[in-house]
Amino acid sequence: MSLTRRNFLALTAGGAAAATGLTGCGSQTSLGAADELSLWAWTGSVNDDLIAQAAKGIPGATGKKIALTRIGGDYQTKLLTSLAGKSMVPDIVGMNDDVATYFPNADQFYDLHELGADKFKDKFLEWKWKLGITPENRMMAFPMDTGPTALFYRRDIFDKAGLPTEPAEVAAAASEWASYIELGKKLKQAVPGAAITDNITSVFRYRLAQLPKRYMTPEGQYIGAEDDIRQAWDLAVQVVKEGLSAGAQDGSTDANAIITNGRLAAFVGAVWWAQLGPKNAAPKSKGNWRVTPAPGGPGNRGGSFLAITKYCKDPEAAFAFITWLESAQNQAQSFLDPVLFPSTPASYTDPKMSAPDEFFGGQKIVDVFAESAKKYPGAYFSPYDTTINTPLCDELVNVEIGSKTSDQAWRDAQRQIDRELTRAGVI
Amino acid sequence: MAVSDALRSPAVVSTQEPAPSKPPNKFKQAFPQYVAVSPFFVLFAVFGAFPVFFSIWLSFHSWDGIGQMTWVGLEQYSYLLTDPTFWKSITNTLIIWVLSTVPMLLLALVIANSLHNATRFRSFYRIAYFIPNITSVVAVTMVFGSVFSNNFGLLNAFLTSIGLDKIEWLSQPWGIKIAIATIVAWRWTGYNAIIFLAGLQAISSDIYEAAKVDGASSRQQFWQITVPLLRPVILFTAVTSTIGGLQIFTESQVLFGASGSIGGPGDGGLTIVSYLYDNAFGSNQFGYGAAIGWALFILIVLFSIINWRLIGGRDDERITKRVARRAQRKIAAERAGTEYTDAH
Repeated sequence: MSLTRRNFLALTAGGAAAATGLTGCGSQTSLGAADELSLWAWTGSVNDDLIAQAAKGIPGATGKKIALTRIGGDYQTKLLTSLAGKSMVPDIVGMNDDVATYFPNADQFYDLHELGADKFKDKFLEWKWKLGITPENRMMAFPMDTGPTALFYRRDIFDKAGLPTEPAEVAAAASEWASYIELGKKLKQAVPGAAITDNITSVFRYRLAQLPKRYMTPEGQYIGAEDDIRQAWDLAVQVVKEGLSAGAQDGSTDANAIITNGRLAAFVGAVWWAQLGPKNAAPKSKGNWRVTPAPGGPGNRGGSFLAITKYCKDPEAAFAFITWLESAQNQAQSFLDPVLFPSTPASYTDPKMSAPDEFFGGQKIVDVFAESAKKYPGAYFSPYDTTINTPLCDELVNVEIGSKTSDQAWRDAQRQIDRELTRAGVI
Repeated sequence: MAVSDALRSPAVVSTQEPAPSKPPNKFKQAFPQYVAVSPFFVLFAVFGAFPVFFSIWLSFHSWDGIGQMTWVGLEQYSYLLTDPTFWKSITNTLIIWVLSTVPMLLLALVIANSLHNATRFRSFYRIAYFIPNITSVVAVTMVFGSVFSNNFGLLNAFLTSIGLDKIEWLSQPWGIKIAIATIVAWRWTGYNAIIFLAGLQAISSDIYEAAKVDGASSRQQFWQITVPLLRPVILFTAVTSTIGGLQIFTESQVLFGASGSIGGPGDGGLTIVSYLYDNAFGSNQFGYGAAIGWALFILIVLFSIINWRLIGGRDDERITKRVARRAQRKIAAERAGTEYTDAH
């Protein structure tokens, strides 16, 4: 078609009509073709081979296919935007451990109880299963991976410092946070500059990840000013006061540098940290790392979920896909790539997972994390945990950089939380 | 039936037989033209005007993005006024703005002046100075992030090599502000220099020649001729730098956004827009985010007026006022002089 004046006018008029049509559209629809179920997930949250298989046909749902869209950056914002628009909403969506922030809007998603989720319950970690269920007993989200925590340490540096080197010995020497700090002090004496955490907030977050209670009760009562939280706070402050923090704030260029140059000799982290931390930042330290149960007991940080939006074209097929993708066998495969730790205990003995890891000197790290995942007590995540967590961590940073005393920072954090929760109408 | 027919018939008649005296339908005639210009207006209405009005509406509500919007009236604004973090973000923004804009405009003026007088490689220098402006701000910030990095940054390596102490650029409140201001200044100095250069080239060389004949030094020429005649251009750069400066966001977002706190340690780099972003898209409080946006709008209007008053204003009015003042002073002095001599 040559671009004549008439054609041009017709085109622009058509474009304008399409633009108005988009905004004027009030119909509630889901994204994608009729035989396609659209799935939104962020990069690195599903196994490519499994998705490629489901893109040809969902096992257990004939004639339906999966169409995955990888959403990069600001995943939650994009998801909220599509839900707010009530149009072109994906059928199935991934959610992070912030799953509870969607609880107030649980009616936007299918109740998975009604789709027969209960018959899969026994196959999953009990605490993980509960995290996707609202206090009103509506099952909003189905478990994907988890984030069990453990103690990572550099065997070579421990050896140089004359500390115990084998995982069992280290675990015995640092079974509690207090003994872990003592061990850190010895380490620092022998190897100047050595640190046992990247920054103050990591200690707080990972201590919190071990507690059976967090910031709120399921009944909606705020308990974030109580002793448990204050003790986790004091512990984080103590680690910094002893000079055992590297002071590399999250997201700074220093955060990777302290791993590369070996300053971070030990770290209590979740299973995914292995990939994000040492494997990416310090590939040369291969063979020197070991993993052992964390001081203070098993914990969990991170892990994700899948939910079916109420705009879904075929909820039965979507549910068939989810249960197939999250079967013990397929979760074991997802551990190999992209390193998602399964929420199905049956996976932990799968030969795919129990292979020795050369990066960790041939250690079977799955055993350590599996123990942590099975023994984690579980805790209730409220919709407001992020709102509460942010001021606490911000104020902890103020303590670390020396601009506030611990008490002052604690008071400021509690005042800010009080304001935020009052505004949100929670208290 | 009969009634409706009676009502309808005159209309039918009038469209079928237009009276010869009736003027031609102007709208119908101009319709293709309206269609031709409509895409801009349609797109503006959809992506420009609608969000603006919606954000006003939104700022009176509490909304998490999915559920029902609840009307809260002016509550968002009253919370805003008593929100210490909001005031902190304003102070931060203003400090960063002063730290970046003042050196930036001065430097730009100097660069423009030397570009104007340069005889060789003019185009090369112009391009060289403009390049920072078209470089991705994200890439620039990442490079500067490693320059300012606390433990392993270039700047600290330099400081220690000449025997000074390390400065914690990216964790102390002032260090963060200086780092951000440097990035902003680096990026916009060349841009402003080019604008100044355009202004300089519009000044007639006759004025300079006349000044030279009168024996003005190049320094005097700069301050007495160049700067006053550049006033409208300076006003333009000052206003655009103010608007830009109040909207600083990407720098702190790239430096600290990956962590939990968007403003960096101690919220030292928390600007108004990053606070807006954090509330709207970090905590899903869209109503509060909208309220911050409107507070920012008011601030920008306020500062533009201040700029206008300080640097700009109506030229002729100012000159006549100044002339009048000078004349009055002269008369007064003369009068005093005569009185003095009289008294003698």
